[in-house]
Amino acid sequence: MRILILGLDGAGKTTILYRLQVGEVVTTIPTIGFNVEQVTYKNLKFQVWDLGGQTSIRPYWRCYFSNTDAIIYVVDSADKDRIGISKDELFYMLKEEELQGAILVVLANKQDMEGCLSVAEVHQALGLDQLKNRTFQIFKTSAVKGEGLDSAMDWLSNALQNKK
Amino acid sequence: MTDSKYFTTTKKGEIFELRSELNSDKKEKKREAVKKVIASMTVGKDVSALFPDVVNCMQTDNLELKKLVYLYLMNYAKSQPDMAIMAVNTFVKDCEDANPLIRALAVRTMGCIRVDKITEYLCEPLRKCLKDEDPYVRKTAAVCVAKLYDINPQLVEDQGFLDQLKELLSDSNPMVVANAVAALSEMNEASVNGAPLIEMSAATINKLLTALNECTEWGQVFILDSLANYSPKDEREAQSICERITPRLAHANAAVVLSAVKVLMKFLEMLPSESDFVSTLTKKLAPPLVTLLSSEPEVQYVALRNINLIVQKRPDILKHEMKVFFVKYNDPIYVKLEKLDIMIRLASQANIAQVLSELKEYATEVDVDFVRKAVRAIGRCAIKVEQSAERCVSTLLDLIHTKVNYVVQEAIVVIKDIFRKYPNKYESIISTLCENLDTLDEPEARASMIWIVGEYAERIDNADELLESFLEGFHDENTQVQLQLLTAIVKLFLKRPTHTQELVQQVLSLATQDSDNPDLRDRGFIYWRLLSTDPGAAKEVVLAEKPLISEETDLLEPTLLDELICHISSLASVYHKPPTAFVEGRAGLRKSLPARSGSAEVVQETPGAQVIPSQDSLIGDLLSMDIGGVSAPPPPQPTSAPVDLLGLDSLLGGVPEPAVSQSTTGLLGDIFGLGTAGPTAYAPPKTMWLSSDRGKGCEISGTFSRRNGQIQMDMTIVNKAMQPMTSFAIQLNKNSFGVTPARALQVLSPLPPGVSHDCSLPLVTTGAVQRMEPLTNLQVAIKNNIDVFYFACVIPMHVFFTDDGQMDKRVFLATWKDIPAQNEVQYTLTNVQSNADIVVQKMQENNVFTIAKRNVEGQDMLYQSVKLTNGIWVLIELKIQPGNPNITLSLKSRALDIAAGIFQVYDAILHS
Repeated sequence: MRILILGLDGAGKTTILYRLQVGEVVTTIPTIGFNVEQVTYKNLKFQVWDLGGQTSIRPYWRCYFSNTDAIIYVVDSADKDRIGISKDELFYMLKEEELQGAILVVLANKQDMEGCLSVAEVHQALGLDQLKNRTFQIFKTSAVKGEGLDSAMDWLSNALQNKK
Repeated sequence: MTDSKYFTTTKKGEIFELRSELNSDKKEKKREAVKKVIASMTVGKDVSALFPDVVNCMQTDNLELKKLVYLYLMNYAKSQPDMAIMAVNTFVKDCEDANPLIRALAVRTMGCIRVDKITEYLCEPLRKCLKDEDPYVRKTAAVCVAKLYDINPQLVEDQGFLDQLKELLSDSNPMVVANAVAALSEMNEASVNGAPLIEMSAATINKLLTALNECTEWGQVFILDSLANYSPKDEREAQSICERITPRLAHANAAVVLSAVKVLMKFLEMLPSESDFVSTLTKKLAPPLVTLLSSEPEVQYVALRNINLIVQKRPDILKHEMKVFFVKYNDPIYVKLEKLDIMIRLASQANIAQVLSELKEYATEVDVDFVRKAVRAIGRCAIKVEQSAERCVSTLLDLIHTKVNYVVQEAIVVIKDIFRKYPNKYESIISTLCENLDTLDEPEARASMIWIVGEYAERIDNADELLESFLEGFHDENTQVQLQLLTAIVKLFLKRPTHTQELVQQVLSLATQDSDNPDLRDRGFIYWRLLSTDPGAAKEVVLAEKPLISEETDLLEPTLLDELICHISSLASVYHKPPTAFVEGRAGLRKSLPARSGSAEVVQETPGAQVIPSQDSLIGDLLSMDIGGVSAPPPPQPTSAPVDLLGLDSLLGGVPEPAVSQSTTGLLGDIFGLGTAGPTAYAPPKTMWLSSDRGKGCEISGTFSRRNGQIQMDMTIVNKAMQPMTSFAIQLNKNSFGVTPARALQVLSPLPPGVSHDCSLPLVTTGAVQRMEPLTNLQVAIKNNIDVFYFACVIPMHVFFTDDGQMDKRVFLATWKDIPAQNEVQYTLTNVQSNADIVVQKMQENNVFTIAKRNVEGQDMLYQSVKLTNGIWVLIELKIQPGNPNITLSLKSRALDIAAGIFQVYDAILHS
């Protein structure tokens, strides 16, 4: 099972990947390139690709789209200025042919930060209402505290199994 | 049906298949796919389209797979520079891997990926690896710094990698030290201004010497090579370094031995030549060099080329080892020829008998080139060892009797040289030579024979017939032969005017009217004019006493030899050319041997430095010229004494303008002049630039000079403060001539209290130009740990005189007329106690070239030209009256501002 973790730079993708893999918060540096790890969740094995979110790297996301079963799209809920860009990147990506069957999980991350947007607000800002023909769900998470990730993964594994 | 079917295919192709395999979930399949990709890459198929897919295989636990992917990256990152960024994160991670092998692999590969965009991301990992706990990683990272320097030197300096590398020089692991040294040397070679990036201190050198004994053979080579670039501060240090590296001479690796020899040869310069240490060391140098000659032929050749230099520099080392250079029957030809060369250099009275019998054997071998060289060698022995001359001549006669064509021809060429060295001694053999006249078909041999006939025309009864026989095919002869024939017939005419007038007229008309070779024509005209104006003068000119030829004209020019000694064990020492002559775009400083010991106070001029200007082009010319040993053709003009060439000018309708000797032999003449002691350029005494009270205890006095074509700022820095001074640096303000330092200021650091330190800073004139008042003013800022000090000094203008300032006589005349009269200034040099010749010589030593000299109504007129580094030409006329201590100087130049400076220089030089 192949899962991509995408999102703007600094959204917390790498932190989420290692939280899922080793269950701990690791110190990360900006990912110039990618990380790939095997993650086992409830006896399901995932190959999880975490791609860098820098502007210079985003064009290369598409190289990883083929055979992708699910996308975890991470949004920095506290970064109100760039949520518009995040939305654009999301919709631009979802238009890709290769991703038509992929399940989408949106993580409204950094819910631990003060003054951040709520799940509903993120849902609104990303324009998720407009999504058609897409299995998706949005979750509020805090990768550093480890909150919300389990419910997101529960939902995702169910959705993936149902898809089969 | 249309033809479009031919363009559609159902096959997806190999690339497609490989791509799907690379993206496979199965590790085994993935690994196989990467192997296939590498295989395709190795045989030259373009698999760069798979870049993203291969990069995606990069994060793996499998070391084998990782290595393959890295290999792919090194090859294709350059063709996919944008996509290469996707690999960065993996490098960063691998540099922190638990396995040191992976850390080193990552840092090594990073250095090989030459993509600008990603270098900045690689600095952090590199910094960590330089401090890695594992020596294997550190030593790999050290080399990576040099690679990064090649891509982006500025980045390396900004990121502080130089300092980190310097720390590695004191690493506990000898291999790390060796690699750090190697990286530093490479960066020094490549550095933009040629100045070393890191100065080695005595402490560092000590650490290198400790590491030397423990590291691998190639590490030893790196360390030794970098020691060779170090300048010990005194004799004691030089001696102690020599002592510590002497054991390396016994190493089995030829490269280690030669590098050790290089360091010793260099440091020997600093030691007093009569000391016991030097004589012991000289003895120790011979056995390792001899041992090198028992290795395979290729190594032998390299060793011989290096030995050739060593023998020229220090003949003592191998003087007792003649036998090892005897040629073996199964030596390859290139080894044979090289051995022969060294045999001649080592030939002395003590071993000449042995050498001669060997050479005689060689002359009967089958290889033509080798035989020729052997015959020439016999001739050179005759010239070198006077006592052996007679035996050599009889050996040569024996060889002539063999009638082997090429042996005879070579023998005649060398016999001509023997005649020139020992006149009136062996002329009895001329008749034997004449017997072989008809068989000579090579230009050099014909020219030599003709020279002999002309030179000894009075003793050869039928000289006129012999020369006449050559005249028949005059126009088909080689230029060399034509010139000799012309001169020989003129000589014959001057010696036996009766019956030969017709012959001489014939040759003169052949040379002047029917030839289109300007050299031949000009020489013909000169002779013609001479003969028609004053046969007495002609006799004095053409039949003048010739200087004897010197022993070893094939020696390398001394400054070049010294430079090559510094490059022992490199390609330069095999080519016998400085690296600048064959490495393109090399801007490094030229290496030179340290100044001889005991001469620290006296500025040493290398002899011959001015005889051959040290311009690259000229050196190149000299090297490409085949200076065929003593058998070089005799100077076509049979004298180098001053000649009045007046006749030529009026003949050509030029302006009557007497000239000093202008040897038409050009370069060749210069080479023959090599033996004379080198002149010394004038350097004004040092003056106080910065007094100790203004300099807070730092006192600086200095002067400027020009040595070996380079402007030098020579300073004495005295620390009169109570504390040591460190961190000296210098900066020059913009100035009229764009003078700027060629490298950083190198001062003994720390400079202890009460110590005086002499240093020289080479300057170049490529800096920013800003007019100063006076023109030669230079504003200097010197910084040390105490403060920054400013002072101004005056650069004597003669250091800007370039060595190509010799103006052609006619250009001089035309320019003189061309420059308007208001651009002429006069000056009187008072109280000069020199005659015209001394003035010519003194000025010549400072690149003031005398174009012409003539005597008008009892006073000497000198015409001189000077070229400044900024391209300004200055034309000067001097009036010297015998007995009158005042000299009138008239100067013309398009830029008159320099006049004051020029006058000062004349004053200073002529009163020095």
